[in-house]
Amino acid sequence: MSAEPLHKTLWQGNQALAEECLAHPFVRGLGDGTLDPEVFKHYVAQDAFFLRAFFSAYALGAVRAVEKREVVQRLHGLMRGVLDELKLHEGYAETLAIDLGKVRPHPAARAYTDFLLRTAWTAEVGEIMAAMTPCMRLYAYLGQELALRDHSQNPYREWIDTYSSAEFEALAAELESLLDQLAEGTHSVSLAYRYAMRCELDFFSASLA
Amino acid sequence: MKEFTESRLALGAGELWDLGTRAEFLNAVGDGSLPEDAFNRWLVQDYLFVKGFAGFASLTVAKTPRPGQSALIAGLSALDDELDWFEAHAQARSLDLGAELHPACQRYLDFLITAGYSEPFQVLLALFYGVEVAYTVAWGRLEVQGPYAEFIERWTHEDFQAYVRVLSKLADEHTDPRQQAMFNEVMRHEREFWRMTWEG
Repeated sequence: MSAEPLHKTLWQGNQALAEECLAHPFVRGLGDGTLDPEVFKHYVAQDAFFLRAFFSAYALGAVRAVEKREVVQRLHGLMRGVLDELKLHEGYAETLAIDLGKVRPHPAARAYTDFLLRTAWTAEVGEIMAAMTPCMRLYAYLGQELALRDHSQNPYREWIDTYSSAEFEALAAELESLLDQLAEGTHSVSLAYRYAMRCELDFFSASLA
Repeated sequence: MKEFTESRLALGAGELWDLGTRAEFLNAVGDGSLPEDAFNRWLVQDYLFVKGFAGFASLTVAKTPRPGQSALIAGLSALDDELDWFEAHAQARSLDLGAELHPACQRYLDFLITAGYSEPFQVLLALFYGVEVAYTVAWGRLEVQGPYAEFIERWTHEDFQAYVRVLSKLADEHTDPRQQAMFNEVMRHEREFWRMTWEG
């Protein structure tokens, strides 16, 4: 029996995928500021579509955990975090003149949200947490890595600041703590975590396509 | 098969209809050149698909008002027989049905089951029809002959076509503006599924 918390085992087991995301041309472009603004615009629209599903998945998780009042309250806190993130996207949408209501999801975004929502409708709450954690932990990781270099002149500094912030790290850690509390290290939990990491990578690739 | 290729939703799908119902895998079944490993991959993944699809079918049954339900319940029961049939074939070929879902198959099922929970029954009827009509038309382009005659026969049999006809009628009796777009998604997933059977 390992004393290591589940979230750590899962993250380390998927480190290679996290590194692939960090080295992805899309993420590199955000980091050095060279990403085509048109590409970023499409990405923001797709990400807003994704975040609405992510929000729903928390809500469905909360329904599944309704007997555990403390868990429900913490999930509600995480839902507020998503709403704040969506506000950031709405801000981008206004600046970049995107109509977030008219977004047609690309297949990679659709595959990701279908997976999340299917898990949220059908799986136990621990597995739902496993499907959701990669998104939060990966973005915290990418934000913190990109923030290591001077980005004061980077046109995407707001994005980097958001995901490298202490507030976002706290949200990611909160979700990981729920994962540790609610999930067992079963095969289906590992599969859900890994599949979500793959979806993240595919999402970046689709954003460049 | 003309009644199906000329059904409202099939016509509305445009080129996606052909993309979803024609495949190299099937051509190879037809001319007898199909590699054994491709057939085995198809058998396992299709079995896993049917298992998940039965969940989607149950959700559709639950949401659809009578009298439409009765055909769907019969369909559900046929899916159960189909699973037995797949299991027998897999056993004869010593295939592991506990295999992991291929990502193409997973995406298809994630799409259907999420829709099953969140979409109205009118949309689910269009999806149900899409999945079944795609199979009968795709296999129906082949002659019932060769080493896989039993498989071709299964989805081209008159009983199966009669069932697909009922599904078509149900979808047409309960229209919804989103039916076409969602039917088109089924064709996209069919295309990806067939690509997976052929390319791995």
